[in-house]
Amino acid sequence: MQNEESLVRRAQQRDERAFAQLYEEYFDKIYRYVTLKIGDRMEAEDITQQVFLNAIKAIPSFKWRGIPFSAWLFRIAHNQVVDFLRRKSKRATTPLEESLVASNYDSQIYDPQLIAEQRLDIERLLVATRKLTPAQQEVISLRFAGELPIAQVAKIMGKSEGAVKALQHSAIVALRKAFSVA
Amino acid sequence: MKNSEFENILDECLERLDRGETLEQCLQSYPEQAAQLEPLLQMAQAVRKASAILPRSEFKARARYEFRSALRAGATKKRQSLFSLRPRWAVALMVVSILLIVGGGTAVAASNSMPNNPLYPVKLAAEQVQLTLTPSNMGKARLCAMLADRRVAEIICMADKGDVRQVEILTQRLDERLEMLAILVSVEKLEVPAVESVPRAPTEELAPPPAPSEEARGEGDVYTRANGRARLRIIVAGCACNHPAALRAALGKAPESAKPALRRAIFISEIGYERALAALD
Repeated sequence: MQNEESLVRRAQQRDERAFAQLYEEYFDKIYRYVTLKIGDRMEAEDITQQVFLNAIKAIPSFKWRGIPFSAWLFRIAHNQVVDFLRRKSKRATTPLEESLVASNYDSQIYDPQLIAEQRLDIERLLVATRKLTPAQQEVISLRFAGELPIAQVAKIMGKSEGAVKALQHSAIVALRKAFSVA
Repeated sequence: MKNSEFENILDECLERLDRGETLEQCLQSYPEQAAQLEPLLQMAQAVRKASAILPRSEFKARARYEFRSALRAGATKKRQSLFSLRPRWAVALMVVSILLIVGGGTAVAASNSMPNNPLYPVKLAAEQVQLTLTPSNMGKARLCAMLADRRVAEIICMADKGDVRQVEILTQRLDERLEMLAILVSVEKLEVPAVESVPRAPTEELAPPPAPSEEARGEGDVYTRANGRARLRIIVAGCACNHPAALRAALGKAPESAKPALRRAIFISEIGYERALAALD
């Protein structure tokens, strides 16, 4: 991707192309992060869309002070997820949505066996991540679904890199345990 | 071997796997840790594979269309906005000039005006200028809280008069202010640097950061901002109780026609303050 700082500066000047480039770069990552956090496809779609609409509103206030744009964007996503989960806790909770996986592969070559395997993988992962602490879940979501390096995860979570590495380690150990009993 | 050293090796191997190296290559680099590393790296690979969820293509197309529409709408609005064509100082100068021309009394009258008053647009313009000229995100967030307070008072007044349209418009403005407040404090949170702590063994939750050293205390800005944040949280927590309560009280007196709009205002204020408080936590 073209130099991100210059893209963000142009996006702040409402350069449509620059903003669209940032959008394409981060859309899938934000969607995966949100999906892994809430396990509901329809809600994840709404939230992902809202994250980028909020980013349009908020980008004039973004300042380069050693904070990567990705950290800023994922923080907006995190807030949207927290907002959603708070509202959801007031309503009746819904089980993990089966259709989460069913239609996720519509753009790929149709292979029932592959789809079945992938569905099983995601379902097991979603169930396993629910056994993690909130901090561990956040690290796994940002690191593996959001594909962010440790330094950026640390910025988003307001923790040191060492602390995030420790959380990453404990989270993988806990996931392994959860997978082995599932 | 210390836990922190192993955590560094684990992370390095994860980065190498991301870059396309194989599991075997990683394990060969750390033969002594290979037995401990292997199952963790296999698990990490499985997690990465499983979390590679793709958005539905029709959703992606719709989202892209709506995003671009919102961008264009914003750009059009920006082009149409008289204020946005000028730098901050010019906007301030223009508003001050207007206020001097129309007189101080008018300015005061405008600040107390309600949406059905001809001076109300002056009030909104002055608020916008105040927001533009406030330099810090935290200052802007405090101002948003104050403006949300005004909007609630205006909603109650307009609901009392049965002006449904104005209640709806004001509710939208209230939502925007509370959303802006939440975004600003989130951005501010990112700008307060995390205190580096000593790497430690895998643990479920991290202890609070250590007390700042004298050297760190020298960077007073961080602590001033932290205090400002705590003060803002008290204000917002107060509003989170008072505003929905005041709107509910107004619901009892409002004409039937205004009640649905007022109920929506109550809902928006509850959700908006929850969001703001979550961002402040």
